[in-house]
Amino acid sequence: MNSTRRDLFIYAGGSAAGALLTPAPWRLITDTALWSENWPGIPSPPRGEIRTKFTNCSVCRAGCAVRARCVGDQPVQLAGVASHPLSHGALCPFGLTAHHLPYHPARLKQGSAEQALAAASAAGGRIAVLDLRPGRTASWTYRRAMAALNGLYVTADQPVAFDLHQAKTVLSLGVPLLDGWGTPGNVWAARPGFRLIQAEAIESRTAALADVWLPIQPGTEEALALAIGNAIQHGKADDERALSLANELTHNGPALVLDNSGSAAAMALNQLLGAAGHTMVARPEAPVPDSWQKAVLATGLAQIEDRSISVLLIDESAVDRYLPWHTIERKLVRDNPVVVTFASSRGGYARHARFALPTAVYPEFAEDIPTAIDSPAATFRISTPLAAPPPGMVNPAEFIATLADLPKSDALRERADAIHQAGRGTVFTPADGKTVAVKSLTAEVFWKSLSEAGCWIDEPGHGRAPQAEPRPYLPPSEPGSGGLPLVALLATPQAPPLISPLMTKLYQESNLRLAPNRVALNPSEARAARLEDGAHAFLETHLGKCGVEVSVDAAVPAGVVLVGTAPGILDVCGAAARAKVVAA
Amino acid sequence: MKHRGKIAFFAGMLTALGAGWAGFPYTLYRSRPQPVDFSHKVHAEKAGSKCDDCHSFRADGSFTGIPTLDKCAGCHAAAMGSTTAEKNFIDNYITPQREPQWAAYARQPENVYFSHITHVNRGKLKCESCHAAHGSTGKLRPYQEDRISGYSRDIWRGKRMSDCVACHEQQGLEHSCLDCHK
Repeated sequence: MNSTRRDLFIYAGGSAAGALLTPAPWRLITDTALWSENWPGIPSPPRGEIRTKFTNCSVCRAGCAVRARCVGDQPVQLAGVASHPLSHGALCPFGLTAHHLPYHPARLKQGSAEQALAAASAAGGRIAVLDLRPGRTASWTYRRAMAALNGLYVTADQPVAFDLHQAKTVLSLGVPLLDGWGTPGNVWAARPGFRLIQAEAIESRTAALADVWLPIQPGTEEALALAIGNAIQHGKADDERALSLANELTHNGPALVLDNSGSAAAMALNQLLGAAGHTMVARPEAPVPDSWQKAVLATGLAQIEDRSISVLLIDESAVDRYLPWHTIERKLVRDNPVVVTFASSRGGYARHARFALPTAVYPEFAEDIPTAIDSPAATFRISTPLAAPPPGMVNPAEFIATLADLPKSDALRERADAIHQAGRGTVFTPADGKTVAVKSLTAEVFWKSLSEAGCWIDEPGHGRAPQAEPRPYLPPSEPGSGGLPLVALLATPQAPPLISPLMTKLYQESNLRLAPNRVALNPSEARAARLEDGAHAFLETHLGKCGVEVSVDAAVPAGVVLVGTAPGILDVCGAAARAKVVAA
Repeated sequence: MKHRGKIAFFAGMLTALGAGWAGFPYTLYRSRPQPVDFSHKVHAEKAGSKCDDCHSFRADGSFTGIPTLDKCAGCHAAAMGSTTAEKNFIDNYITPQREPQWAAYARQPENVYFSHITHVNRGKLKCESCHAAHGSTGKLRPYQEDRISGYSRDIWRGKRMSDCVACHEQQGLEHSCLDCHK
């Protein structure tokens, strides 16, 4: 019997049908899927002993305590420490996924520290350091270095701290109190004890969770604070809401007023309400060695003469708040200024700097975290490294200390010794969950506790009333001025410069938080501008324009554009700036 | 011939069935012996060892898994019996301080987190619930590794995600993706 081609096809058909009745094709599908999970290039934690390490998160200045599950030397899971006296076991999405940061594809990896050092040394004229997270031990190094070099130490810090646990009524002027402000665990621990009134233009998450949401015109927060102040002082006001709020704040105290910019009006209102020195204190700082006290004081950017800085060193390895580049640029000399930035990505000031030097990222380096805005007592915590940094990373404090010829020393240890010498406060150790008085420890044991992610908290009662800086109130310009019909509101809280590239659900997919490069518009504004959700567009202000992606969100009121906080957007857009969005 | 087509079809089908059910598993898995001829039975019966004597929890609750050489050397620094298996173990591993390269039958993929202490201490599960009679076997069977995925064949035997979910549902326990896939 001869086999024909037709027989062969029928045989193959039978084989295919038979194969479907065996486990082979189904297992091949499963196994191929599993195999694809282990392709070369896909990070895979090494096998090794599973250990628990502790550190403090330095992604923001909340400094939440972190328990890290490590396989070998690699952290694979981060969680909070439930017994911690400040963070109470809470960790935000940025902190939970921060062990991904060392693998971020946008990470800055190269830069010549030698060339930058030579250029900064050779340049004449005035030198300045811009510190985007003041209050650290590194900040003191910068201040000492600037004292040696007759330079300036520049910050944009809010000089106060608040005690939510003592407050019964809190008026928040657009502050994202329940959405990333301060130490999230501490805020939520204090939340049952106070009534929250959220005065804000949009119904943010904090507004939705507040006891009262008070919709206001964008950019009128400071005006509202002034009106309430007048109502308290004179017992009358044109605005009924201001009168009602004044009444509530006065009669349901202790009361506290929070705002994003530390405006003089909000500070003065807190003074009127008797919060100063009680629920609002000058930002406390841990003791420092006596020899450091010769350091220069901080200078605000606005106080510096235009075109006066020849060498600007920017530490953006830790960022609390970006300052728009145009406000910095006008302080630089016109001819060939030397700008050196220490950054973890090219997204920030590296776009404008002559030298961009790569820095280690959390959790690769040891650094202390300054006292959080919601801590009325000084704290001292060290972000203990969980992984080794890649080669070629530059330590900004070492660079600037070298430039100023400061003697080499272990500044963190020196500061820990100064705290121990002061003999005040307690230290909490996450490994055993115990809190002990500093007085009962030797300097060595105290340092060991801090090195193991311990948290020193000063005794209460050392807070002092902050000084309100007199600043004229500038009302927002009229709507529609200059052909820019929208008022720009900055999305809060500001995102860290690097966030986990795997945190796609929050940003790239669901856009639950406004991504840094996005703007959100009311549907009617979007229709008028012929923009759809996800469209590419330009955000235009009187300072320039930048490319953005558009989200259409009914929660954004008409006449407002809610903008992300990417440095590129901040370059052209400040709070309550006039803007328009046009299709790309 | 009248049924020629049917014969060809069923011949093909039978060939595929045979290859799929009998030949495929042999091809898919590669077998390798364990490095040491170890008997759980001897340790349980003669030495009176319990599972957690060797497969213990650390102070922080994490599971040590297969014991390291230090643990074995605690008893076998010198021969305790006269078996060839023990002599080979001492000569090849204890004396030269060489860690045996055990292959873990129940090792889960990288994307799975499993907490032994939760199941043993809180769930009161016995080792046999998942590992069957492994603790009383007289000889370690060869380790079978999937050539494509690289995973142990044993994870398909009672340690699949559907098995975990079924047990949790049976016990009326809550479960969510992030419990295991963190």
